Amino acid sequence: MLSFAVRRLLYSIPVILVGSFILFWAVRSAFDPLVKIRAIRDPEVVARETERLGLDQGIIVQYWRWLTGFLSGDWGTSSRTSGDVLPMIQSALTVTLQLLIWSLLFATIAAVLVGVWSALRQYSPSDYALTGLAYVGLAIPAFWFGLILIQFLAVWPQQLLGWSEPPFYFIGLSSVDKEGSLLDTARHMVLPILALTIGLVAVWSRFTRTSMLDALSSDYVRTARAKGVPQHRVVINHALRNAWGPLITVIAIDSALLIGGLLVTEQIFSIPGMGRLFLDSLLAGDVFVLMPWMLLVATAVILLNFLADIAHALLDPRVRLT
Amino acid sequence: MTATRSLGRSRLAIVLLAGGAAASLALSACSSSSSGGSSSSSAAPTSTSSASATTAPALQQGGTIVIGAEQEPDCMDWIASCAGSIWGSYMAQVTTIPVVFNVRESGEDWLPQASSIMAAEPEVSAGPPQTVTYTLNPEAVWSDGVPISSADLKYTALQIRDGKDILDKTGYNFIADIETPDPQTAVVTFTEPYAGWKVLFSGSSGVLPSHILEGKDRAALMVDGYSWSGGPWIIESWEKGQSITLVPNDNYWGEKPKLDKVVFQFTADTAAAFQAFKSGQLDALYPTPQLDAIDQIKAGLPGARVQVQTASGNLEAIWMNNERPGLDSQAVRQALSYSIDRAAIVARVYGPLDVSEPAQSFYPPILSAFGGQDFSVYTLDLAKVDALMTGDGWAKDGEGIWAKDGTQAAFTITTIAGNLRRELMQQVLQQQLQAAGFKLTIENADAPDLFGVILPDGTFDLGIWTLVTTFPDPGLSFAFDSNNIPSEANEFSGLNYSRTNVPGLNEVLITVDVATDEAARLAATQQGDKILAESATSLPLAAIPNVLLTLEKIGGPTSINPSEGPFWNLQEWGLLAN
Repeated sequence: MLSFAVRRLLYSIPVILVGSFILFWAVRSAFDPLVKIRAIRDPEVVARETERLGLDQGIIVQYWRWLTGFLSGDWGTSSRTSGDVLPMIQSALTVTLQLLIWSLLFATIAAVLVGVWSALRQYSPSDYALTGLAYVGLAIPAFWFGLILIQFLAVWPQQLLGWSEPPFYFIGLSSVDKEGSLLDTARHMVLPILALTIGLVAVWSRFTRTSMLDALSSDYVRTARAKGVPQHRVVINHALRNAWGPLITVIAIDSALLIGGLLVTEQIFSIPGMGRLFLDSLLAGDVFVLMPWMLLVATAVILLNFLADIAHALLDPRVRLT
Repeated sequence: MTATRSLGRSRLAIVLLAGGAAASLALSACSSSSSGGSSSSSAAPTSTSSASATTAPALQQGGTIVIGAEQEPDCMDWIASCAGSIWGSYMAQVTTIPVVFNVRESGEDWLPQASSIMAAEPEVSAGPPQTVTYTLNPEAVWSDGVPISSADLKYTALQIRDGKDILDKTGYNFIADIETPDPQTAVVTFTEPYAGWKVLFSGSSGVLPSHILEGKDRAALMVDGYSWSGGPWIIESWEKGQSITLVPNDNYWGEKPKLDKVVFQFTADTAAAFQAFKSGQLDALYPTPQLDAIDQIKAGLPGARVQVQTASGNLEAIWMNNERPGLDSQAVRQALSYSIDRAAIVARVYGPLDVSEPAQSFYPPILSAFGGQDFSVYTLDLAKVDALMTGDGWAKDGEGIWAKDGTQAAFTITTIAGNLRRELMQQVLQQQLQAAGFKLTIENADAPDLFGVILPDGTFDLGIWTLVTTFPDPGLSFAFDSNNIPSEANEFSGLNYSRTNVPGLNEVLITVDVATDEAARLAATQQGDKILAESATSLPLAAIPNVLLTLEKIGGPTSINPSEGPFWNLQEWGLLAN
């Protein structure tokens, strides 16, 4: 296992390097890093920035300069805000991770419960109902979910109950003068986390159900039942443990993608996370933020896949990593 | 003066800027700021052309309000290139940076008026050389109690004139020298006559505190916000991605704010922002009048006051690339102008806000004192289209499209992708031009491409974007002087994207820029509009209205200043007394 982990990590390095070069090349091709500077119409400034950024040199040299700076913690300066890129991304990532961790936790629990329940009661009315709800969840776009939740859980309850404020907030992360209040933070986080969780549960519960059905119809489960193992132990110790494998892989991939893909949720709820940072930077052609942002997300995809493999091996005794 | 390329204040918006032309106008990809007349009502919008403020009864001292802001500023170093956000100006610049001239309502117009940092109106000497003498109010002080002095004017002028990465040097590049004979007096000498001198130390620049910034890295001290102020408010905090908070400046020499705190909460999504406004999470909104916002207003906002200002500084137009084949013919441009039912387009898009009149000049309503009504000749008239096109040697082909020498009168039209209001306009234009015998293809682009590549390179036929007036000065040479056509000669820095090159027009536009005689200047603006209309270089479409929404619990003279935005008098806002 240890040698596998070390080897996988070592393999990841060239993959990340190649990926980062492709990203660098693509970003440089698509965006002019000096687009904002050129708008000032001062040739001297343009020439100075061209030299400072090494834009008059080959793409390999430019990439190497950027990479060494990135690895040494110098992530550059945003052309949009003139601020340091590293703290911008740190701040956005912190916010996104807060959303992500809670959403993943709730979504995993809910998806497993729903999936197992459906698998154990295949073709029952409750299975049909949960399947139908899952399809609804899959079909509704994320932005619509967000707006529906705002209407159903914030606006209407406030109107019906005649309260001066909604039970859950949906703008930003905290209220004025209530920064640091746990209750206030929770009231801000509920709707975005719920919006995210519902979408994830819709997908993952289908996965869990299918995996569980496969496991429940397998020989080892039949054998366990024949040996008189109680139902709950059959489900938890035998079927679910085997069904976990594919689900963990899906969770890992989705988690990595969500680090950069919370754009819609963050946009609707005005949350300054990675998704909004990406959008703002993209619209401004801010290559100095886009590059490290994309590299970070790409690295997360690779690392989380690696962790998924490890977890898979730990959970499934049939998997041996050598 | 400023030639600003503003991509507006829509929720996804960014602002690019380019200085160096002779008018305080911005090219906006989305609708943008302000204007003159406004009206207010509860829950239902109305509009007038007079700028009446809504005056509330008694206000309580203290309290906090939260205002939804569509856009977060990129930085707060207001004279630097990163400070192009119009929302940044509304929220934190207008409220903290003193200016020499405020823009205030005067009759039906909004005009520059000496601000309270001035002891008197600046004195102009025509020269040559032209000089302007500024005498400062000794009571005007920075938040640390240090008087606002002539040294501050000198510092600001030199930072802009000689600095790098400056947002807009217009006007400052005409400054030959600035003398400070005493702390209250500054004398600016110009290299050449400059009619637009009032924009100096006003508009996008203001006055910066030399005693704090001199000899230091101004950008580093201001880019993430600053703790000093020369206005009624101080920036208490800027939580990146979340909010900007203002608190009163206790040392402000004028009327002090009634509120204890104002929070600008960044709200990226229009639908969510309206819901937050309805639920009381936000106390005020200043939405870009995109279709979704108009629909929300039309649907009704209980408990809210809706102020619609039709006399804005935003002029949307159909721009024609005068160098493209077909469009290089004046007859074709005129024919296109007669093919478009502008009134129908305006009514369709802005009808819910009671705006139905197309613009008849390239001067927006805020500058209605200038220019004329010469574009009023262009109403839908297919007979004139036929006469102009046949007279120019065109004939309709089998498809019913005008053709000449085997080439159809087929054009593309470009604007920013995703701007639903403009996309709707494009579709209506497509139908109208098809009926008149022109083929129109929609080819939209993202904002950086449009303003960074397509317009400077001239690779478009027709386009839709907006001129945004940021200071009421009538210069239009930046947009129509042939010397400002982007080219290698000017390093593609010109903003005459329509490639307008009409004999006699440059001279008229220069007169507008340099004439210190107001009557001569006015006559030149009218002559300029006439030439533009006759040559049909482009076609003004409509002034984009501004909309301010406030909850009824907010009182005070809430209104929209076409130059300084909706929060220009925030210190007078307050919560209604119980």
